[in-house]
Amino acid sequence: MSRAAVQRQHRTKVRLAAGFGALGSVILAAVIWVPWQTFPNPLLWVLFAAAFVYFEWHSVEVNDRLYASPSIMILLAAAVIFGPESAIVGGTTMAALAVVTPIDIRRHDWFQPIVNFGQLVASAAAATTVLSLVLSIGVAPGTPVLDTGLLRIALGSALASIAYALVNYRMVLFIVSRVYGRMGVRPWSNMAQIMVPEIGMGFLGGLLGATYLTIGTAALPLIAVVFLAGYMAFESYARLREAQESTIRGFIKALEAKDRYTRGHTERVAYFAEMIGIQMGLDGTQLERLRWAALIHDVGKLAVPRELIRKRSRLTEEEYEAMQMHVHFVEDLLKDVDFLQPMVEIASNHHAHYDGNGYHGTGHEHGDTPSKEACILAVADTFDAITSTRSYRVALTQPYAYAELRRHAGTQFDPEVVEAFIEAMEDSGRSYGSKIERTDDEARDIAEEGLDEILETDQIVDRDLTPAPVAEGVDNG
Amino acid sequence: MAESRLHRLSLILLGVITVLGAVAFALIVRSGDEWVAVLLWAAAIAGMHHLSVPTPSGRRINLAIGPAVAAVILLPGTAAVMAAYSAGLVGGWVVLRRRSGDDRDSDYVAESISMLIFGLVASLMLTGLSGSSLPLAWVQLLSIAAGGVVWFVLRALVSAWVGIEREDLASRYLWLRSLEDWTVALSIFTAGALFGMTWPLMGIWAFPIAILPYAFGHLAFVRYHSTRVTYGQMIRALAQIPEVADLAPRGHSTRTADLAVSIAREIGLHPDDVIELEYAALMHDVGLITLTEPAILQAGYTDEDVALWGAQIIAEAPHLQEVSEYVRMQHSPFRRPGEATDPDVPMISKIIKVASAYDQAVYEMHLSPLEGLERIHRGSAYDFDPEVSASLRRVLVQRGVIAA
Repeated sequence: MSRAAVQRQHRTKVRLAAGFGALGSVILAAVIWVPWQTFPNPLLWVLFAAAFVYFEWHSVEVNDRLYASPSIMILLAAAVIFGPESAIVGGTTMAALAVVTPIDIRRHDWFQPIVNFGQLVASAAAATTVLSLVLSIGVAPGTPVLDTGLLRIALGSALASIAYALVNYRMVLFIVSRVYGRMGVRPWSNMAQIMVPEIGMGFLGGLLGATYLTIGTAALPLIAVVFLAGYMAFESYARLREAQESTIRGFIKALEAKDRYTRGHTERVAYFAEMIGIQMGLDGTQLERLRWAALIHDVGKLAVPRELIRKRSRLTEEEYEAMQMHVHFVEDLLKDVDFLQPMVEIASNHHAHYDGNGYHGTGHEHGDTPSKEACILAVADTFDAITSTRSYRVALTQPYAYAELRRHAGTQFDPEVVEAFIEAMEDSGRSYGSKIERTDDEARDIAEEGLDEILETDQIVDRDLTPAPVAEGVDNG
Repeated sequence: MAESRLHRLSLILLGVITVLGAVAFALIVRSGDEWVAVLLWAAAIAGMHHLSVPTPSGRRINLAIGPAVAAVILLPGTAAVMAAYSAGLVGGWVVLRRRSGDDRDSDYVAESISMLIFGLVASLMLTGLSGSSLPLAWVQLLSIAAGGVVWFVLRALVSAWVGIEREDLASRYLWLRSLEDWTVALSIFTAGALFGMTWPLMGIWAFPIAILPYAFGHLAFVRYHSTRVTYGQMIRALAQIPEVADLAPRGHSTRTADLAVSIAREIGLHPDDVIELEYAALMHDVGLITLTEPAILQAGYTDEDVALWGAQIIAEAPHLQEVSEYVRMQHSPFRRPGEATDPDVPMISKIIKVASAYDQAVYEMHLSPLEGLERIHRGSAYDFDPEVSASLRRVLVQRGVIAA
């Protein structure tokens, strides 16, 4: 990213922080000063506030892009217990406490807590206001909450959780689009996925509040256990899920590192594939599948003798066949890993062409159009192959790679995928490959002469990715 | 104990429960208590035998204890509770017959004994405390909690005992494995208690209040379990890269891992360590993948090199740091002549060393199992830990590979 862009982003952040901070403060002051809200029982408030803060800090990643935190349940249970006359002030002040997370403190991040403050206070105020309205419309003032009926309580808290999710999600969208531009935002596409568990949790939160009002303090340990047991179960699931992915990533990285021509290839292909997937609007599940397919697409190559991978001249017909066999190594190796089967199918088709030519995986015949995901993987894989130095050819330029992808669009590649990729790549402002223009033949000649001494790795800007090997110093010593 | 003896035990237990149920029913019919409610709860307990939830230890708990917990609160008196439990357990036995699986007898014995004792403890405590000044809800909660602790410990003990008899596993291993189930047990108990406490006051709303939180937890337990399975499958697959590349004999890593896990359970390693051991044993030869490099083949290499390369590859996975260490240490000798044993060599590495050597002797040198064991025994004291080779012998006897 350029210096000017960084400065622009910084200015946007400052403006956003000021806006959100002001919004949060105004709402907080308002709910504290309005005369018809009284502060709830301090002991209960402290108890629920502590629980709310704890769970707000410890949200669990259920699947890609879906973080669930039971804190909304706690907020609504507390709001029901406090009753409409204290719910808004009690709930909103609880939420205001959870703004600074330990991670922000460790990172010395000031932006996140201020924005969180505005966001949490506004969402909590919206949710508790909705609940208070539902609990008090058409009811004589001072009626105990329980007497309004359990149906009203349950539906009111479900509605309140919708309000919470809407305000929260809108604000996140607003922030992300302002600070990070278009990348990474797919408005509303995941809304249903987020809403359903949210409504369920709101509904349950209200009922648990009603349970406390009905059976008294003995309900507190039970409610605590409900939260803790559920949280621990999800947390250990999420941890194991993360372990699974980091294991295969680490493994592949270690194996690839043994060869300087393949080093980092998988990580980069996974990154490019995800970029295309986001650009084309794939949903969370599809993106996850695509990422896994990219991670495993070259596992088979690890079993191919190094002489072939390192060969400096063009491969002979037989050698090329042997190389293509790695597609079947993937299938053979991963056939017993149940959850990877859809990904194996994508990965084993990444050498299949859009028009049905090319090399297909098992179960697909010559002439079959590969799946959208396989097409994405093919483009990502080819782009990285062209822009990094291989044993038989030094790296080519990014424009050359674009031209090459476009030249084969419609035959080897899916034209839609190629355009989505180029657009996403241009938006990201990154550049890969050599800076020196060469033709494919020149690049191959250089490689054949030998380039052991001239590998340099200074091309890729993303610090999380291993730079592609680029033979830069060939012409200028 | 053999399957048939276990089956006999479950039949005897069924007989005892039937008699107990008959007595309890006679008591409640005489005192005119609500026998319709008793039958309804019995049906719920019997039906719930059909559903079970996977636990972190890799086994399952069936959900029958959930309605049993609610029934203690809602049924009047110990006799009614015992009547409902006995009838429910007799019905549960029939339900379990329809389920396949070799562990239904052992599960039934453990679950039914602990359920009956839970009912006794909780309902007696409920009656005893009802005269006290404590609010009713707290009396109910305390009784369930006390009964639940007894249930949990008893269930772990009985299944450890049944398991030793059934699979000849170490009691320590089984006991620790059962203790891992506490989060699941807590979720089921909470659902039962919530239902029992809210039903009289809130009516049908007790259903969502009890079931919804449990459903969230259930979903997580199921997903955790399936992820655990696929994680294991993935490691198995990665471990086979050298075999697919024809750099290692086919099947060696899988067989070594199976044997190593049997030895570890026999010795009584902690269940968490058994999982680490399984991963380490599967991947103990993964370093062989480095041999696709022609330069290394020319230069030559030792077993220690392979172990070190393997450990370096595994160490790239942040969650497998310990596994990497076990793989690195797998060739360390148990004791060098004239020196004391090296306490730094982990038990897991010693087990892998024995299992891998035995597998090589039998499948690559084509020795008989007895000759293979003989080789290990000869190497004991210096190469191999005598404790591990003794355990190997017991495992081979159990598997029926060599005579006792």
